[in-house]
Amino acid sequence: MANHSTSTHSQFFQHHFVDAEQQFDAAKMGMWVFLVTEILFFGGLFAAYIVYRLWYPELFVMASEELNTLWGGVNTIVLIGSSLTVAMAIKSAQLNQKRNIAINLGITIALAAIFMVIKYFEWTHKFHLGIFPGEFYAFDGIDHPKANVFFSLYYLMTGLHGIHVVIGIGLMVWLLLRSMKGHFDSEYYTPVEITGLYWHLVDIIWIFLFPLFYLID
Amino acid sequence: MSGHHISTDKTLLGVAGALLVLTVLTVVVHYLHLPNPWSIIVAMAVAVAKASLVALFFMNLYWDERFNLMLFLASIAFLALLVGFTLLDTLFRPEVIPGF
Repeated sequence: MANHSTSTHSQFFQHHFVDAEQQFDAAKMGMWVFLVTEILFFGGLFAAYIVYRLWYPELFVMASEELNTLWGGVNTIVLIGSSLTVAMAIKSAQLNQKRNIAINLGITIALAAIFMVIKYFEWTHKFHLGIFPGEFYAFDGIDHPKANVFFSLYYLMTGLHGIHVVIGIGLMVWLLLRSMKGHFDSEYYTPVEITGLYWHLVDIIWIFLFPLFYLID
Repeated sequence: MSGHHISTDKTLLGVAGALLVLTVLTVVVHYLHLPNPWSIIVAMAVAVAKASLVALFFMNLYWDERFNLMLFLASIAFLALLVGFTLLDTLFRPEVIPGF
């Protein structure tokens, strides 16, 4: 049964696994279980969004006018591009193209940084107008008594998503450093694979946030 | 079924291209100002299509062990339970709105 001789030569193979294949599958399944908890973590906020949108449909139409569709769209495209480069980095590892792993991770980090810079300008522009979450809301351009509720949801959901992007950047930097040390090849690329899964989920969350906040009419 | 499926450049670029087209489509539809409730229905249908493309071909669920797909679908089922049971309360309150 347990064949300890198959592909156990990677320096990252851990002795408590039967073989490298089992180690890979276990890590990947563990990541998927974590992603389940992430979906339900964000799910609580999506549930709050649905409740409030059904209570105040007219508010969401009015308040969404304050969000810039162009920059939301640009950020959507930036994240799609970064998902593509992560997938490319994994493919490069599988094909033993070590240099391409680092190049694709580098582009991913750059795109993620562009996303955060755009988010920074979007947020600070709103702060300038007095659009703060909850009781700090001080903007009178929206004729609705609950206008702050929309922006509380906006800041919480894009903020939690932004935190995930920042954590993703940290993980990508770690992967980039390891890839430059030559740690990843077709025998062992588990960290690239499961960080990729995390990054694609962050992309999926944004795919829903974009129409839910920027494209309301 | 393998956790090590290697995607071709053609597949990856094709999926990214489809995601770009769908993003442009959903923005164009937004500016058409469809009558209620079609605007939100189209926007969510496009978002679900994009999310499915990412999950199946970037996250490799199309080729991966079926167990991982099951985990993903289970999370969506439990999210539906959360939203569904919450709405059974919030949609049917006699005094609809709380103070916040």
